[in-house]
Amino acid sequence: MEEQIDLVGKAFTDHYYHLFDNDRQALSSLYRPSSMLTFEGQKILGVEDITAKLTSFPFDQCQHVISTIDLQPSTFAGGIVVFVSGSLQLPREEHHLRFIQMFHLVPVLEGNFFVHNDIFRLNYE
Amino acid sequence: MDPDAVAKAFVDHYYSTFDANRAGLGNLYQEGSMLTFEGQKIQGSQSIVAKLASLPFQQCKHNITTVDCQPSGAGGVLVFVSGTLQLAGEQHALKFSQMFHLMPTPQGSFYVLNDIFRLNYA
Repeated sequence: MEEQIDLVGKAFTDHYYHLFDNDRQALSSLYRPSSMLTFEGQKILGVEDITAKLTSFPFDQCQHVISTIDLQPSTFAGGIVVFVSGSLQLPREEHHLRFIQMFHLVPVLEGNFFVHNDIFRLNYE
Repeated sequence: MDPDAVAKAFVDHYYSTFDANRAGLGNLYQEGSMLTFEGQKIQGSQSIVAKLASLPFQQCKHNITTVDCQPSGAGGVLVFVSGTLQLAGEQHALKFSQMFHLMPTPQGSFYVLNDIFRLNYA
């Protein structure tokens, strides 16, 4: 059971950051109307507004480099909590930014998950 | 249920208890609770308290920089904390981040179902 959580959680995290780094519009497939994002303290509700926020950043591409991923089953309806730390390199920026992010993934159909909760914070020196 | 109020009350209580007497954290966890502490996975209130009590310092002080919270569904609250941790006798404070998934108890309070702690190294 634990191995399954690890596999699912890591696969999701890889997929999420791959989309973020290359095609942020496609992140809309991972959220639903009930999803919540808190981005640097700003609260956003629902897939449309969340996608609008994520696609509004003033860069096309970026690169997330993940340092740590921790996962636990959240018990509520088979969900998973994911806790990520890493760094974020933006184009034309000399120094990368450090960030922490947590997700609460909730199953939709057998083996498929969406992001019910998403909280992102930059980690300043 | 106001998630912001729940999160604030919990964060205040958790870290002041941690800083004053870590053994007193036991009643915030239950048998099904999970802690991942710097990558180490621990389950159940007894083992969790044993781990926290065994950390190699007597006194510490958490200073909280940010607290974010959201309802997790089924009455639960997710809390995402960042801050610094000053250990007695250490010159520099450590940066940390931590998340909690709080679930309601029948008595109208909350317990910690999920707890993940990471130091944030430079």
